[in-house]
Amino acid sequence: MADTAENPLISLSQAMAERARLARFLVAGIAVPGHRMRSGTLWRKDVVVASEQRFPDAGDAQVTMADGSAFTARVAGRDPGTNVVALTLDGSPDPAPLPAGEPQPGGLALALGADDAGISVRLGVIRSVGPSWHSRAGGRIDRRITLDIGVTRSEEGGPVLDPGGGLFGISTLGPRGRVLVIPASTVETVLEPLLSKGRVERGWLGLALQPVLVPEALQAEAGQSQGLMVMSVSKDGPAAQANLHTGDILVKIAGESVTSPTAVAQYLGPDSVGKQVELHLIRADKPFSTAVIVGIRPDR
Amino acid sequence: MSAPAAAVSDRLRVAVLASNAAAQDRLATLVAQCGHQLVEATASPDAVLTDGTADAVLPAAAVALGAVAGEFAGWLPPDAGAAQVDAALRAVAAGLTVRATPLASRNFDSLPEEPPVLLTPREIEVLGALGNGMTNKEVARLLGISPHTVKFHIESLFRKLGAASRAEAVAKGIRQQIVEF
Repeated sequence: MADTAENPLISLSQAMAERARLARFLVAGIAVPGHRMRSGTLWRKDVVVASEQRFPDAGDAQVTMADGSAFTARVAGRDPGTNVVALTLDGSPDPAPLPAGEPQPGGLALALGADDAGISVRLGVIRSVGPSWHSRAGGRIDRRITLDIGVTRSEEGGPVLDPGGGLFGISTLGPRGRVLVIPASTVETVLEPLLSKGRVERGWLGLALQPVLVPEALQAEAGQSQGLMVMSVSKDGPAAQANLHTGDILVKIAGESVTSPTAVAQYLGPDSVGKQVELHLIRADKPFSTAVIVGIRPDR
Repeated sequence: MSAPAAAVSDRLRVAVLASNAAAQDRLATLVAQCGHQLVEATASPDAVLTDGTADAVLPAAAVALGAVAGEFAGWLPPDAGAAQVDAALRAVAAGLTVRATPLASRNFDSLPEEPPVLLTPREIEVLGALGNGMTNKEVARLLGISPHTVKFHIESLFRKLGAASRAEAVAKGIRQQIVEF
């Protein structure tokens, strides 16, 4: 047998275990009566963040930290847009802020969580790293980070760390069970409005759009071959007040061509609320412009 | 109906089983909207569409709409549309098990990318009418165009969506993404 100090697998294993041990204090086990255990991340003193999807709509929750200390927590705010729910509690330890981790595809990541058995630790590689993206619920997430790690519904919401101790963000179950990371910077961005207002306000037009091919005869007029057809208009919403109709084809917003849902989402961030934007459409085979005052996206 | 010849061969023979006449009629309408042939339960059907309440031995693999108990190869919500019913009937007839994805279990997701094929506004209207089980003549009347033009749009839809039947076009077409803003 080789000396353990020279066996790289043993050193790796020991380093991983040490990393997990040091990060345990961040993991919050969240118990809501009548619901399965779930995980959260102690983000700062008296604030725990967790995954918003399927988080029970309940008053109080019991939060248990790795050292066994328990707190009564209350939901301070939830943001389906970035999948972050913030809970506040009284008298938690003050976690030293962790440096932001810099994710690299193929680099190692540790995902921590809590379940009925206590703290869980999972190891894998960062599967992919991409630019910012928009969720179906309207939020902008700073980077698209996917992990080659599986987490359960109980474990999602726990911290995801790099081997050096940096924090990537919190784990989230994405489409087809793939695990995403909501980056720490995105959590930081939504945390203030969640704590002060209970929600994150984003822009709303009050219409449903579908990508379409602009009929050939109109492509020259529109200056583009693709647009977004209005499939429905919410009664009394901003689009209805701007006189938009089902069947109109949206081709430009504020003079910029829009052909995809993501292009539209760019104009509907938190800063857009209350602002006027110019819409260019094709209606009944003719160009048509109108201005809409961006409203506040209603909660689900 | 002006569905191409290929579509006729993939018509299923479907029996409906329900506890009352009104439910029986509703299920029969769905089978017709899917373009399948309605047959008696005793006529060795390919699949059965049921509301799950009929007290009968199932003559073939069954799709249950909104049933709460029983052993069925397919389970769909009570308000499932023709496209879902069609997909489920074909699946159970092929020996597969079908479960609808409950909305609440859908995970956090990104906005859809641009769809691989883009339809024109007219094609979307025609597809919507087909999804409601309309004939070419009815679609023509609804949209104020000639049945010949309707046929032209349907052929274009089949080509773009790679569909061989109306039901397949409707099923593939609903995956075209609508996003609320």
